[in-house]
Amino acid sequence: MNHVEPIRLAQVSAGYGQRVVLDGLDLGLQQGTITAIVGPNGSGKSTVIRAMARLLPTRSGVVLLDGQDIRSFGPRGIARLVSVLPQSPSSPPGLTVRELVELGRFPHTGLFGRLGVEGVLAVESALTLTGLADFAQRPLDELSGGERQRAWVALALAQGASTLLLDEPTTFLDVRHQFEVLDLVASLCTSRDMTVVMVLHDLVHAANYADRVVVVDDGRIVADGAPAEVLTVELMQTVFGVAARIFTDAESGRMFCLPIGTGS
Amino acid sequence: MRSARSFAALTLLAAVAAVVLFVLHLGLGTVWIPPDRVVLALLDRPTDPTDLTIVRELRLPRAILGLLVGCMLGLSGALLQVVMRNRLAEPGLTGVSTGGIFAAVLFLAGTWGLPSPGQLLPFVVLVGALAGGALVLFASSFRGRIDPLRLILTAVIVNAVLGSLTSIVMLNSQQALGGILSWLIGSLNGRVWDDVWLALPWAAAGIPAGLLAARAANLLQLDDESGRALGLPLQPARVALFGLAAVLAAGAVSVSGAIAFVGLMAPNAARVIAGADARRVLPLAALIGCVLLLAADLVAQSLSIRPPIPSSSARVGLPVGAVLAVFGAPLLITLIRRSIR
Ligand SMILES: Nc1ncnc2c1ncn2[C@@H]1O[C@H](COP(=O)(O)OP(=O)(O)OP(=O)(O)O)[C@@H](O)[C@H]1O
Ligand SMILES: [Mg+2]
Repeated sequence: MNHVEPIRLAQVSAGYGQRVVLDGLDLGLQQGTITAIVGPNGSGKSTVIRAMARLLPTRSGVVLLDGQDIRSFGPRGIARLVSVLPQSPSSPPGLTVRELVELGRFPHTGLFGRLGVEGVLAVESALTLTGLADFAQRPLDELSGGERQRAWVALALAQGASTLLLDEPTTFLDVRHQFEVLDLVASLCTSRDMTVVMVLHDLVHAANYADRVVVVDDGRIVADGAPAEVLTVELMQTVFGVAARIFTDAESGRMFCLPIGTGS
Repeated sequence: MRSARSFAALTLLAAVAAVVLFVLHLGLGTVWIPPDRVVLALLDRPTDPTDLTIVRELRLPRAILGLLVGCMLGLSGALLQVVMRNRLAEPGLTGVSTGGIFAAVLFLAGTWGLPSPGQLLPFVVLVGALAGGALVLFASSFRGRIDPLRLILTAVIVNAVLGSLTSIVMLNSQQALGGILSWLIGSLNGRVWDDVWLALPWAAAGIPAGLLAARAANLLQLDDESGRALGLPLQPARVALFGLAAVLAAGAVSVSGAIAFVGLMAPNAARVIAGADARRVLPLAALIGCVLLLAADLVAQSLSIRPPIPSSSARVGLPVGAVLAVFGAPLLITLIRRSIR
């Protein structure tokens, strides 16, 4: 806990054109932890992710990367420290899984794009970790949604950054593969001391995989803390507008959040 | 189709085809010189001294230009397809062809009354071509941002305007017509060493730079957010790649006129063979561009030595652009039908 925060947003305001989405947001990440960002559609979760990696310039406030102003890093410098998996990434038809994952090495390679030993190892390990070694030669557009999603996760891993920002990494995945991706993220977090931020819609995943849950509503942080403290029946009602039951399964020790409906 | 081995084999095949076509091209003309004698003449050991003059002085410049122009157009088209995110993009969409031709027409319309316009024409075309490219880039950037779709639409509009202006000038001056037709369709007839020297700097600078742009091109093929997240400054990269495509096309147009289809066909063929990775698509598109242009010019040339109208004077040079349009279109359609099911 004596680490410098990998990323800190300090009084950050950001938006699109005339529209202000985030207004004076404060959020710091703890090294080696998983933070889940949850919130309704359009609440600004993706915007927070974008601000963290300078995909969207801030209007005011500062973003600190390892304690340094993010504006003092070049784009490749940021990419060496922070990997981002966008919410709806796209690749050209015909691009194979390996070709995609190799693009993760862009911030590390020179003019001629030689991967080098380190690069090849990073690509191989990303493919293996995501269970895609057998799919490496397949074009992405001929994969299932879940396989494709794992390829994009592999790309982010090959990038070799110590902070991973994942915008809805479990969409398109079946139950089993959702767990696989989340388990992978959790194990990277411990084995490689990586810092992870995930935008999640499934509150059960947020409750069980995150060390910390940040609830965003209308561009503001309305709750922040350990899952058990944050995910309450009241919060479900005020933020998501649903009645819900929240309980812990005695056998698995897992926390569940069961929405009942919109009725009050 | 996409395995590394078949890619290597097909690339090798294309390279061999380019060499064979190059030698055949040098052999073909009013006198046929067999390949062995062509090679000997190239190596400065001619069996017959006249071979040396014919091959090295008269035919070599045209063959080299075929090689360079094909390469430049193929690469230019491949780069532009990346920047515009559209497989129908071709070098003409940089605005350089219409820009170059408009400049040529204005020049030939004789407002300046220079003694020998023919020699200056390539320079005029070059300047007009570069200006056309700059115009498209400038007109399409909005608050310093280049958007692929806006770029295409702007290019289409600029091309239409420049095309109409060209027609207006042409309608108003009869003497300009004759010379300009071969520029409009693109031809390599009667090209000499001076033309090679004109195109060479653009090729020498543009081709390596274009090939080195493969890494940036790969990231531009992803969605904007992914490309940026991987550390590519999107807007500068788009401007740079568009600039490269325009420079390559301008260099080609200044010596050959507006040759169509090569720049569309070569990158599409390359994608069918090599998939989407720009590290393969770009060099392969350049290579296929060479092969296509040399083959088409071979046809153009062999048709010109037996003119259908015997009474016509020395040479009826069929422009290579016309050959490409006629033979290239069906080839392209077949290719696209096979690749996009
Ligand atoms: N590129 C954009 N241009 C203009 N407005 C945008 C853009 N992206 C997002 N917005 C707006 O900003 C607000 C926050 O969007 P954001 O994408 O951060 O929401 P989100 O919480 O990620 O939603 P979701 O759960 O649907 O992904 C929304 O009101 C949205 O309409
Ligand atoms: Mg979102």
